[in-house]
Amino acid sequence: MAAEKSAAVQNEPYAIEMLHITKRFPGIIANDDISLQLRKGEIHALLGENGAGKSTLMSVLFGLYQPEEGEIRKNGQKVVIRDPNDANDLGIGMVHQHFKLVECFSVLDNIILGVEPTTKGGFLHKAEAREKVIALSEKYGLHVDPDAIIEDITVGMQQRTEILKMLYRDNEILIFDEPTAVLTPQEIEELMQIMKNLAAEGKSILFISHKLNEIMSVADRCSVLRKGKYIGTVNIADTTAEGLSAMMVGRNVNFHVEKSPAHPTDVVLEVKDMVVASKTHANNAVKGVSFNVRKGEIVCIAGIDGNGQTELVYGLSGLEPVKSGTITLNGKDITHLSIRKRSTSGMSHIPEDRHKHGLVLDYSLENNIVLERYFEPEFTSKAGFLRKDNIRKYAEKIIEEYDVRSGQGPITIARSMSGGNQQKAIVGREIDKNPDLLIAVQPTRGLDVGAIEGIHKQLVNLRDEGKGVLLVSLELDEVMDVSDRILVMYEGEIVGEVDPKNTTVEELGLYMAGAKRDEVKA
Amino acid sequence: MLLLLQYTLIFSSVLTLVALGGCYSEHSGVINLGLEGIMVIGALGGALVMRFIPASTPGIFVVLLTLLGAVAFGVAYAALLAVACINYKADQTIVGTALNILGTALATVLVKAINMKLSGGDDVSSTVQYVSAKQNFVAYIGSFQFNWFMVIAIIALVVAYVVLYKTRFGLRMMACGEHPQAAASVGISVYKMRWSGVLISGVFGSIGGIAYILAGVSEWKFENGVAGFGFLALAVMIFGQWKPTKIALAALLFGLFRALSNVYIGIDFLANLNIPSTVYNMFPYIISLLVLALTSKNSKAPKAEGIPYDPGQR
Amino acid sequence: MSDPMKKKESFFQSDGFQSLLASLICILLGLLIGFIVLLFINPSGAAGAIGAVIKNFLNYSRAALQLKNLGNTLVKTAPLLMCSLSVLFCYKVGLFNIGAAGQYVVGACISIYAALAWGLPWWLCLLLAILVGGIYGAIVGVLKAYCNVNEVISGIMLNWIGLYTTNMILTGVKESTSPYTLHLRDYAPQSVLPNMGLAGLFAGNEYVSIAIPLAIIIAVAIKVILDKTRFGYELKATGYNKNAAKYAGMAEQRNIIVTLAIGGALAACGGAFLYLTDYELWEVTTSAVPGMGFNGIAAAFLGGLNPVGTIFSSYFIQHITSGGAYVDKNLYSSQISDLISAIIIYLCGFVGFMKLTMKKLNASKAAQDIAANNANAEPAGQDASKEKPADGSESKTEEGGKA
Repeated sequence: MAAEKSAAVQNEPYAIEMLHITKRFPGIIANDDISLQLRKGEIHALLGENGAGKSTLMSVLFGLYQPEEGEIRKNGQKVVIRDPNDANDLGIGMVHQHFKLVECFSVLDNIILGVEPTTKGGFLHKAEAREKVIALSEKYGLHVDPDAIIEDITVGMQQRTEILKMLYRDNEILIFDEPTAVLTPQEIEELMQIMKNLAAEGKSILFISHKLNEIMSVADRCSVLRKGKYIGTVNIADTTAEGLSAMMVGRNVNFHVEKSPAHPTDVVLEVKDMVVASKTHANNAVKGVSFNVRKGEIVCIAGIDGNGQTELVYGLSGLEPVKSGTITLNGKDITHLSIRKRSTSGMSHIPEDRHKHGLVLDYSLENNIVLERYFEPEFTSKAGFLRKDNIRKYAEKIIEEYDVRSGQGPITIARSMSGGNQQKAIVGREIDKNPDLLIAVQPTRGLDVGAIEGIHKQLVNLRDEGKGVLLVSLELDEVMDVSDRILVMYEGEIVGEVDPKNTTVEELGLYMAGAKRDEVKA
Repeated sequence: MLLLLQYTLIFSSVLTLVALGGCYSEHSGVINLGLEGIMVIGALGGALVMRFIPASTPGIFVVLLTLLGAVAFGVAYAALLAVACINYKADQTIVGTALNILGTALATVLVKAINMKLSGGDDVSSTVQYVSAKQNFVAYIGSFQFNWFMVIAIIALVVAYVVLYKTRFGLRMMACGEHPQAAASVGISVYKMRWSGVLISGVFGSIGGIAYILAGVSEWKFENGVAGFGFLALAVMIFGQWKPTKIALAALLFGLFRALSNVYIGIDFLANLNIPSTVYNMFPYIISLLVLALTSKNSKAPKAEGIPYDPGQR
Repeated sequence: MSDPMKKKESFFQSDGFQSLLASLICILLGLLIGFIVLLFINPSGAAGAIGAVIKNFLNYSRAALQLKNLGNTLVKTAPLLMCSLSVLFCYKVGLFNIGAAGQYVVGACISIYAALAWGLPWWLCLLLAILVGGIYGAIVGVLKAYCNVNEVISGIMLNWIGLYTTNMILTGVKESTSPYTLHLRDYAPQSVLPNMGLAGLFAGNEYVSIAIPLAIIIAVAIKVILDKTRFGYELKATGYNKNAAKYAGMAEQRNIIVTLAIGGALAACGGAFLYLTDYELWEVTTSAVPGMGFNGIAAAFLGGLNPVGTIFSSYFIQHITSGGAYVDKNLYSSQISDLISAIIIYLCGFVGFMKLTMKKLNASKAAQDIAANNANAEPAGQDASKEKPADGSESKTEEGGKA
């Protein structure tokens, strides 16, 4: 608030201002009185954890959501943005985290799409556009072949295409949403230089990120959001990476998991040089990872989204084939076993995306609870008929033990349940399979504090029963609180192993951002 | 042999026209399984014009009015697919199938009604005759029967190539079939583009329909529909990988096999093989199955086809 | 434990009721549009004609004739029910078996040929039809599972291949002077389906056979398989969410092939159910795939994709199809019934929209309840879904059909 007042007094020319924006969704305030002021020609970072409200704020700026409170100003004038076209007209452009490019089109076609230069009769007249694109790419150092097809070029070049798309439209305000998440270190360096060039030419840049070292190296100022609230804006020159980290994470952790020290025993999961290809991007592929999980410990895979965690889990669970390397569960080689066999060999898996993988949403709760066990003699007779009574009884047991709340108990359609209760049902299902190893991927994603606490308790209980738990999480609090051992993944490799008792969030952040790296192989 | 060439060319023309129709629709993001029905209804529109146009009308007007009648019927019919699949997000397979069945049933009911009315109840057939009007569509070069639809198909091919690859409209339409969210993010109306794609497929589907019933005969029994030709055209489109020039080549291949069943008796070598005529009738379908089995694995189908566009989804 | 605060879903909000309501809307709209077409053709007789279609066997005034013609409608309902079960069964796994029409033809072909050429008893004819139909259906499945061929297009191609092959094979057992196959009753009496006294119930209509009760039993069996067995559980899970099915370790490719094989067997059984009664003869010059399989699509969707529902919807579709024979032939054609069936299928495309509208109407009523319930629950993953908007669209792309 103080920063904003002094800014108003100084009467600086802001390229764009978002003042006191509040946006509510049923049961949650995604943006709570957030203000953001972007100066002309500056690189302004917007920092916050997953779920801090960054995406919602940007959706408001692009007219995808209308805020309940607050206003947007351009050059001091109040503006109303109803849809993305309004934003385009105001000179606001954005490089989305997931590119909006037509893969089978050329670079040039993607750039001109929507603002095509044509002759009379609607025929494309690309020569002029090509010259403009080549001129722009030379001016800003954005080297890309205008005639290359998008699916043939690297992600870095695709991103440059997106940047050229904004420049071609003469946008003045450029927003980069997590632009480095998908880039190689070399490409990141190039991007940083491009951003500096753009700012030097008078473009205003909003840089959304949670990689501290990048913000430190490129931004002029940084605004921080946490859990939907505006924490503050600082000059980069006056702060450090540790300082930013503290602002992003918050000093006081508002919940803590009660647990005794771990007593790990035998190795339950042994992974050696595992390589898994990625369907989304080469950067997400798992590149020869080795680690183990012992009975009676919670091992956490930490890291920023899209560094191969998803693919690692796909490889372990069998959803994607492993290219090379071995996976051993309880001393048994399961590298090439089917998903079903892995499951019956003692592996449980709480999937990352509960709607895509975890649940058959149109099935009843009880049918979802036996999703991986319906074929067992307890639930299917020898003649192939389901034992509905047993399924019902079992479902009721899970519902009771894991406090799954729903409108009609076992016969509730899963789709109609709240996310937290859907997740509790999945957690109950996976834990009750009595696995030797539980792989839990972001098990608390999108849940409220109460549900998070319950699920953490379940994980700890399972550990205390002498089972192995592999937790994959993007939440630093969760990583620090729940795990006994932390492995940090960066670009498909494990770059560090730390003990949560002897580390800080700041140190962890450095590993996650690729700024620190051990040659540790667990 | 000349006869084989003649039939190959005319059937290829039909397949090219209809497959190009499907190509527009799919490039905009809508799978048009109703092409078969559109062909029937388009053929009906054209056939009715030919049936009732005064014999004294100059040839060029007969041709133009016939095409106009076919297109008017076919486009109106395609609109049924568009409204259901684009605006109401109906299952494109169900609606396409319904339109195929409806096309034959509607054409039969209407033609029978017209025949009954004209004959005072004596003629209850579903056949439309257009002997004299048909002459306007053909010309003889020696013994080779040239058909104007061959020219129309070539024009349609050139137009399709230009529209898809050289115009703003084509670029925007294909963007909607590949990545509608990307198209919408740069201010393109996905609904409008998809409607255009489906309606254009109505234009070409219906011209293909009238071309088909004019191919070999001078009357058409509408109870028979168009014998799966709309689906053969879809197979041609897939084999042609949704690209106009490749579609034309695929159509030539399929057209050849279709033509064989009409003319094999005239070719000594084939007639001597003593293969029953039904085998020749089956050829196009068997070939298309084989071709699909070999080419579908790496299909270059527009990425977003078949998925209703939801503006709320980013 | 279920939350005692929440009321049980009322009957009017249940999915079954909404399906029924949607089907009735489709029927009424279908008849209405059919009526408008009739009005357009000839306004004076339209009311009588649509009445004749709806009345079907009730067009007769004598009870015996009514019964006999009801029997005829039932004789053709049995194969239609089998075709609609075939479509329904495959649709539960997310497959559109338009090939049912051809599988039906193949069933007819095998049963007629086995009867006339080999003189096999009826049950062996039936079994052979089921077996060959199953293989024929499995071709579509193999092409889909291993070559990614769209099942609609391969189904259509196999329909025509099946038709021409049938014409060719049955030419060997046709009458010398006409294009029709020989009467089973005269040349292969052992192959005619027994009627077990059912004929007596329908004024001596000897075509009424065990096919009718068998078809109903099979419908119930399909219902049991889908609802009560492990196999049905897997199939439905794959149909609803194939990613979750994969996650749970179900074998997707095998299930696709098995499903289409069963679909093929069902439709082929339908073909045998009609032609083994000797009610109809196959015409070896048939130039269009019989509409039975396509009407099966109408019946399957009209029956709300419920096997028991399709018993009634199949009867309805066959009722109006047979009823088409009673329209005034001087004014209209019998195909008006096909027209109505086709319109009904088209309208079935809107069922999703109708149900959504009904749910919205219900939801606006229950909105306050839900708000109260949500107050102490978490925000249902709101935030997560906002942070990663592309997730939903990606999974959707994978599920979308590819031609």
